[in-house]
Amino acid sequence: MTDSSRIHIVIPAFNEGSMIASVIDEVRSAGHRNIIVVDDGSADDTFWRAGEKQVIALRHRINRGKGAATKTGIEAAKILGARVIVTMDADGQHDPADIRSLAEPILSGESDVVLGTRLVSPDGMPWHRIAANKIGNFFTWYIYGLWVTDSQSGFRAYSRDAAVQINTHTDHYEYDSEVIYEIKKNRLKYTEVPIKVRYTDYSMGKATKQGFANGLKTLWKMIWNILS
Amino acid sequence: MPAKIHLYQILVTAISAIMIYQGIVNFWKGRTNQTFLKLFVRIVVWGGMALIAIFPSFTNRLADFVGLKGNINAVILTGFILIFLIIFKLLSAIERLEQQISEVTRKDALKELDKQ
Repeated sequence: MTDSSRIHIVIPAFNEGSMIASVIDEVRSAGHRNIIVVDDGSADDTFWRAGEKQVIALRHRINRGKGAATKTGIEAAKILGARVIVTMDADGQHDPADIRSLAEPILSGESDVVLGTRLVSPDGMPWHRIAANKIGNFFTWYIYGLWVTDSQSGFRAYSRDAAVQINTHTDHYEYDSEVIYEIKKNRLKYTEVPIKVRYTDYSMGKATKQGFANGLKTLWKMIWNILS
Repeated sequence: MPAKIHLYQILVTAISAIMIYQGIVNFWKGRTNQTFLKLFVRIVVWGGMALIAIFPSFTNRLADFVGLKGNINAVILTGFILIFLIIFKLLSAIERLEQQISEVTRKDALKELDKQ
């Protein structure tokens, strides 16, 4: 059985005041107590809502992007002595019941990084999201040289050692692809585990999610990281 | 008969002289961010413009050097390369600043850990 005391859950959040409390409740219901919420300079009450739930709430004074907020959470988890660090989205699309299946390969020593993948059984996932993910996978493979089935998934687990070795520099959505590059560079053992996705009107409506323009921006950043 | 001097030659030379003078003064006084490389780039860019303004025939030598037939084409190509290099340098500087801002923001956020 998974020992949840050694698992830290990192939730980067930007303007998720209406959702963050229920996401925290769900994670708690799944048996996890070590929850770190990083408010990425939200204009709403995300930080206060998280604080009310008695979790570790950190706040970026200014918005720095999902990647930057995730990295802050991972740094905090390392300081707090986490053995396994799980990152998940704050919009409720990830099912906390999947945390255990993400953490298990790390706790058993099989893997250093576990990537949650939405594309093994993408039921309910809109076709344009599936297409966008496949394009993202192609460019991640083409630029960084490692093929994975869901390069843009934010639901992942890292061993402590992997979290120390992975040294990202990107701040926004290109962070997810940069992690893939770091896995290859550091020759980390990785596994892909199917995860459930819960696409709701709320999560689909968020303006900051990966749209076409953001996708192009992410691609440009990936190319720039190689050039610079 | 003395060579005719055009207005643009006077203007470009005067502006170039001011820009190079300011660069040398800034470097001499050791002002923040005034590196030798920046002074060198300033002298090359503005000095090059002054040189072409004073000696328009210099563009023919530039064309021979670059390997293009038309002297104007050589000037435009050289200008494009310089602009590309400057943009690249600017983007690199912006990227570095962005990373530094994120790092400062992260350190500030992690201070909260001690209070919790």
